[in-house]
Amino acid sequence: MSVPFLKEAAAAGSDDKLITFVRLHLGDGNEEVGRREIDKSWIQAVKILLQYQPTDGDFIEQVLQRDEATLALLYFSLHFYLIRKSGEWIHDGSR
Amino acid sequence: MMEAVESLKQDPRETGEQLRGGLWHTINQRYPGSMITKADYVPLARLSKPLHQSRVTLISSCGVHLKSDRPMDVCHPLGDFTFRRVPSGAKHADLIIHQLKYPHDDADLDINVIFPIERLQELAAEGTIGGLTANFFSFIGYNMDPERFEQTVAADIANAVVDERADVALLAPA
Repeated sequence: MSVPFLKEAAAAGSDDKLITFVRLHLGDGNEEVGRREIDKSWIQAVKILLQYQPTDGDFIEQVLQRDEATLALLYFSLHFYLIRKSGEWIHDGSR
Repeated sequence: MMEAVESLKQDPRETGEQLRGGLWHTINQRYPGSMITKADYVPLARLSKPLHQSRVTLISSCGVHLKSDRPMDVCHPLGDFTFRRVPSGAKHADLIIHQLKYPHDDADLDINVIFPIERLQELAAEGTIGGLTANFFSFIGYNMDPERFEQTVAADIANAVVDERADVALLAPA
């Protein structure tokens, strides 16, 4: 989806088009795969937190002071990170 | 033996079929607005000197770069608006493909199938081409903002190619 298309969707409140775009991105062009990949990242995040390992709240506080654009990209990066950590990684360039 | 032959026939690498069938035909449905048309093409320049006297550069959207370089941003949903210089003397072992959007397991085995750097080194060594620019150029083809891409990455690479005094640019899409 081109940026003009996405901007138009955002301005019109067409959230369905925006989330479709996100799913296509995480699903390498397959919306259903993308939906599963997003779910995987959240599932993995919960699994990690269930281990009750120490967390760094100060670091999170500092990170959240950063600009929104960096945080939004970090959000995408964390999704990919957690998907990889889940052990089922389809984005390795293999067919 | 027959089974082996049959499996080879099914392998898209052997049949030449698209690895992801139907992908291209549905791309504008799945990515509305991503297919663009341009009316103001830059005309191709005619070769001003024989190939064996020409300095050749290589430009690819395959997302290859030196292992020591900062990786491409494959997470950004709109694309990475940067490019990487790849020393033309680099070997396969020096390079890595950082890209999520196309299958590159064959290219991982032999980088030359998508970024023919060692073939160009050979052509330069045997005198078929006059030489190579010091660097080749690589970027990620996945990009949702063709206009910005043209104004940034494409313009920057074009300037770099001029700086490196290339006579010929080989474009290798991924």
